[in-house]
Amino acid sequence: MGDKLDRWADPPLLVLASLAGEPKHGYAITQDVAQTMGVRLSAGTLYAVIARLEARGFIEPLEAEDRRRPYRITAAGAKELARQSERMSRVASLATERLQASLGWAGA
Amino acid sequence: MSNPGMSDPKATRLARMALALYPPSWRARYGDEVHALLQESGGLRDVASLAWRALPAWIGPPAHLYDRPARMRASLSTGLVAWSFLIGLGLVFAQLTQFQGLHPAGHPIIKASYLVFDAALALSIAAAGFGGLPLWLLMLRRAHREHRRRDVAYLLLPLIAPAAFLAALGVTVRLVGGADGVSPGWFLVVTLAGFAAAALAAAGPGLAMRRLQPRGLALRLAATAGGVAAAAILVATAAIIVAVTGLCLWARGFAGYHHAAIPGVYLALVVVAAAVTAVSAARGTRAALADSARNVLV
Repeated sequence: MGDKLDRWADPPLLVLASLAGEPKHGYAITQDVAQTMGVRLSAGTLYAVIARLEARGFIEPLEAEDRRRPYRITAAGAKELARQSERMSRVASLATERLQASLGWAGA
Repeated sequence: MSNPGMSDPKATRLARMALALYPPSWRARYGDEVHALLQESGGLRDVASLAWRALPAWIGPPAHLYDRPARMRASLSTGLVAWSFLIGLGLVFAQLTQFQGLHPAGHPIIKASYLVFDAALALSIAAAGFGGLPLWLLMLRRAHREHRRRDVAYLLLPLIAPAAFLAALGVTVRLVGGADGVSPGWFLVVTLAGFAAAALAAAGPGLAMRRLQPRGLALRLAATAGGVAAAAILVATAAIIVAVTGLCLWARGFAGYHHAAIPGVYLALVVVAAAVTAVSAARGTRAALADSARNVLV
């Protein structure tokens, strides 16, 4: 959480990554994202993202359990997540490579 | 990492207030879930973020929540009330200027403003009347067929309220009017009664639309005609602003225009009503055009 770039973490990707494992409802998504990625999604941000992802067909709602409705990632959502992951991997590889070349940084 | 949740009544009330800021379709779709989430792990930060995110939800509602017929109905209801208010303000303007013979010689801009106002007002009323008539008839027929007396009453208000007002006006003028018309006090009473009648006449179809939830071609036609009527009334509004400003600047001797505060308040009301009319009509027309395009494509 001390990472100063955390505030730029892309919430839609965090939510898609969380749902890539299994369907989850809002509370479970915030818990998963907080525990595995160290980012706390507020309720306003989470549901703005859920609404946007649902509108684009990247996630879909399942039958509500009590008042909590789980969501699952769709094929289009999985494809988009894979595309973005690939892009981030390339950025990470490039950054590591250049840091090693210029600063001799060998990673944490 | 997680908050204990919002169990106390004050926090729950805050959460409900934040949710109330969202569009109805958004609340209907996500309201319960958000409320459940806040009760499980919410804090004041969550309520603040909810409130903050309400504005984008209004500006760009998610496509899957965008109900075009509902948008058209809401825009028509709001637009009709604001438009009626503008018509009332326009008639007050006409009563206090043209009907009093206020035609200051040597000021062609004021004279031209009167002409533009008359033409634009007539066009606006014609567009609203002809464009809204099929929808009104459709709703009236359905309300009558289904024995929905309250809806029939709502739909007849645009006829009953102005007729009652005109009848009361005729009696009032006969009882208290002199050779120069009624006194300023009675004029104020009559004007306020006129606005009340206009509000009733405008609110009736809006309430009926809310209950009957019409869709289809008649609704699209009414929303599109609403756009034309709004555009025309905005031209009439511009003419009013020019004429009143001209009278204040160049013809200060005429009744009322030597008190700058009264025209100032009047123009502020005109601008607010025009803004509401323009925004409502634009949103309704956009929804109508998008719905027409969708019907052509599907």
